[in-house]
Parts: sequence; structure tokens; C-alpha cells
Amino acid sequence: MTDDPALPDVTLADLDRDGAIADAVGAVWGETRAGFLRTAALGGGALLGALSLPAPALGASKTDKSILNYALTLEYLQADFYTEAERLKTLKGPTARQARVVGAHERSHVKALRDVLGRSAVKRPSFNFRGTTESPGAFRRTAVAFEDLSVAAYAGQAPRIEAKEYLVAALGILSVEARHASWIRGLAGRRPAADAFDAPRPRDEVLDLVEQTRFIESGAGPRTTGRRSPRFTG
Amino acid sequence: MLVAASVAAFASGSTSPAPRPGSAPLPAGPKPAFRIPAPEPLGASSETRWAPVLRSVEARAAPGGRVITRLSARTPEATTNLVTITGRLRRGEGKAWVEVRLPVLPNGSTGWVPRGALGGYRTVETRLRVDRRRLTAELFKGRRRIFTTRVGIGQDRWPTPAGRFYVRVKLTRFASPMYGPLAFGLSARSAVLTDWPAGGFVGIHGTDRPELLPGRVSHGCIRMTNRAILELGKLMAVGTPVTVT
Repeated sequence: MTDDPALPDVTLADLDRDGAIADAVGAVWGETRAGFLRTAALGGGALLGALSLPAPALGASKTDKSILNYALTLEYLQADFYTEAERLKTLKGPTARQARVVGAHERSHVKALRDVLGRSAVKRPSFNFRGTTESPGAFRRTAVAFEDLSVAAYAGQAPRIEAKEYLVAALGILSVEARHASWIRGLAGRRPAADAFDAPRPRDEVLDLVEQTRFIESGAGPRTTGRRSPRFTG
Repeated sequence: MLVAASVAAFASGSTSPAPRPGSAPLPAGPKPAFRIPAPEPLGASSETRWAPVLRSVEARAAPGGRVITRLSARTPEATTNLVTITGRLRRGEGKAWVEVRLPVLPNGSTGWVPRGALGGYRTVETRLRVDRRRLTAELFKGRRRIFTTRVGIGQDRWPTPAGRFYVRVKLTRFASPMYGPLAFGLSARSAVLTDWPAGGFVGIHGTDRPELLPGRVSHGCIRMTNRAILELGKLMAVGTPVTVT
């Protein structure tokens, strides 16, 4: 059983408190934990910039749409993480069941947010989970980090939501994310509810943390279409 | 406390209900602006995983074993090189490795590369089957056939190689009428035309000689009408596995 300390500072180490993500990534990329954190500290900003695009009005205020898109980005991250883990079939028993059930929830969150945002929805990024979906231990610890972060992110935005109708919907997601956190924490050998109070996290802080993992691939992704004349055998 | 008061009231024979704390009427709560749909379980999967090659890397016969070839980060067409994943992650030599299908001779070769040399996994649901006897190409999505056409394949002296390959690149808007308006590059290579420019890779493309189709007419490539290749271009993504029988 691992105690979770309070989170006084904002670093990747907060998201990756026991070094699970860094260790998993290090095993794949051959990086040390210190090297991973040092490189990660150079990130930040681009993801936030992508979210600051003005959203056309569709009933929700600009602020609410911005918050919904922020939520959608976190849901994309989680949905793709669980989907990849399930597809790779590297998980067994209760952890496999958790990934299957929670993945289905996260995909439905994505669908709901995309539907409500319509054409204002941010595009789905490309992800590289850097080995964390390919090992049960790394999966569990990364999932704990994601779910804890998700709860803190929703809690951080709830007071900022302008329309109560969106707040009610967001609270419906927040409570489910908290159940996810509790479930995976139990499977990871942690206290399901470590503290009496969950500290909310502001958006910039959350996005910086996500960006520092480098799970979100930069740029437009691989270029697989070209215009050169073919030199195939014909 | 409330329970105790209620019990006392009941015991004294009083029938008036005990007052509830905070019993002032509350306004109705707002309805949620959107509803979360039912959980979306993954269906049965016939997906193929592929990943971009991030950096030039040696592919080996086993994790840390004999070098088979060096994979470039770019294709001869200057697009991102990619490989399809054929096995699970394995540890070795202090790294994680994955088994991938290689675009080298002999066709059908697989090898192990460090996982860190590849980008994030992508998936495709389609698969293409080319039948050299019946001169057909069929595209499937899951179990459903979504495209079929007659094709031209390699002449006997330059046969289209049989085996399991994948789509590595898609080329459009080029100025080579003999390849039609669109061409897919495969991981397959001609075992005969090894000195062909760029390595003798086999493609699937259109043609400026549709009257020759179907037939054994090419240097190894799979030809189809321009209309068919344009339709296939809308349905088939890079990473799609291709089986030639």
C-alpha cells in the first residue's frame, strides 16, 4: 500500500508520482527517469495553444465550449489509452476487465463531448503511449495517474462552467472518473481513496503535465501520402 | 436525532410527522445539457497495427540478435516509412522489442526492432486480397467485402510475388500516366527485378492501357482501371495488410 502525499508542486513527477510512466517509457526508449523528466520539462504550451481556438457559438458560451474541448482532449487521451491496452491483449484478469469497462466509458465520454461540440470539437491527436499499454504494471500505474489527473481536472473546471446544464453533465462525468480512479488504485495496490479532499488542478497545469509525458505526438503525424512519380515495377 | 424524535412522537401516539431539517422548498435542478450515451464496448477486432519508423534502425532476427536489414525513416518516395506489427513486446538486451514485417527480400521476412524506434501504434480495419489465378483484388472490412475488381499482374518472367505484405505509401497527383491517377506502394519486392530503380518495389496502381486488363501484363505490379484505383483510394489506408495468393 502506497501513501500518496499532497501535491504542493507542479511537475511531471506529480502526474507520475512513483515513476511508473518514466520507468515504462525508460524501458522502451532506454532513457533514465532523470533524462525523461529533464526532456519532458522542455515541453508545454503547444497543446494549450491548440485548445485556445475560438469556438463558434452553438448554444454554449465561449468559456463553456473551451472547457468542453479541454475535457474532450483528456477524454481522447484516456479513451485511446484504454482502447490500445485492450486491443494489445497484454492485460489479464481484473485489470483486463477494468480496461474493458473503463475504456467503454471513456469512449462514450468522447462521443458525448464530440456530439455536443459538433464542428467546434478539437481534433483527435495522435498518441504514442511509449510502452505503457504493453505491460500490466506500467498500464496500472499510468491509469492511476490519468484517472487521478482527470478527477482533479474536472474539479478544477466545474466552478468555471457558466451554464448549469453543462455543469450537471460535467459532474456526471466527474463522479464516474472518481470511481475509475478508485477502481484502478485498488488494482494497483494503492488506497482507493487516499485523501479526504481532492485538490482541483487548473487547466494550464494539467495540460502541461499531459504534454510533458509526450504521449501526444507533435505535428500532423506521419506523412504517408506523397506526390512523387512512382518508381514501382509497373 | 431525527429518528429518535420520530420514535418518541410515535410512542406518544402523535400522528403529526416530525419536521424535517432544511425543509424549505428547493428549486428544481437543471437538466444536463447532454447525456452520456451507453458505454461503447470494442467489437470483435480484425485490426492490423502499424507504426511509423521514427529513426533509421537495424532490424534483427531476434531481440539483440543478427542484423537482417536497416530500416530507414523514409521511403524511396520521401514519405514516412512504416511497418506493420506482427508480435507482442518482448524484453531483451535491456530494451523492449517488437516484431515487425519487413519490406525486404526474401518477401515475407519479419524482424525485431527496438520499440523506441517506432512511433505510436495506428490501426486499420481493412485487408486486401489479390488472387493471381482469378486476377481479382478484393478489399474487406472485417468480414465484409467492400470492393472488388479485376486486375493485371506480372508476366510469367516478372511474376507478382505471393505472400503477406502491407501498404506502405499512397501517391497521388503525379505526372506518370502509365501509373494512372493514384498508386499504392507495397512492402513487396520483385524477386527478379532487383536492380529496378528504388529497389523494385511492387505497387498497386491505375493504367493508361486499360484494354490489357485483366491479364498477366505487368512487371510485377498490380494494375487496375483508373476508376477502380480511385475508388480503392477512398477505401484503403496505408498500413492495410495485402495478401497475394
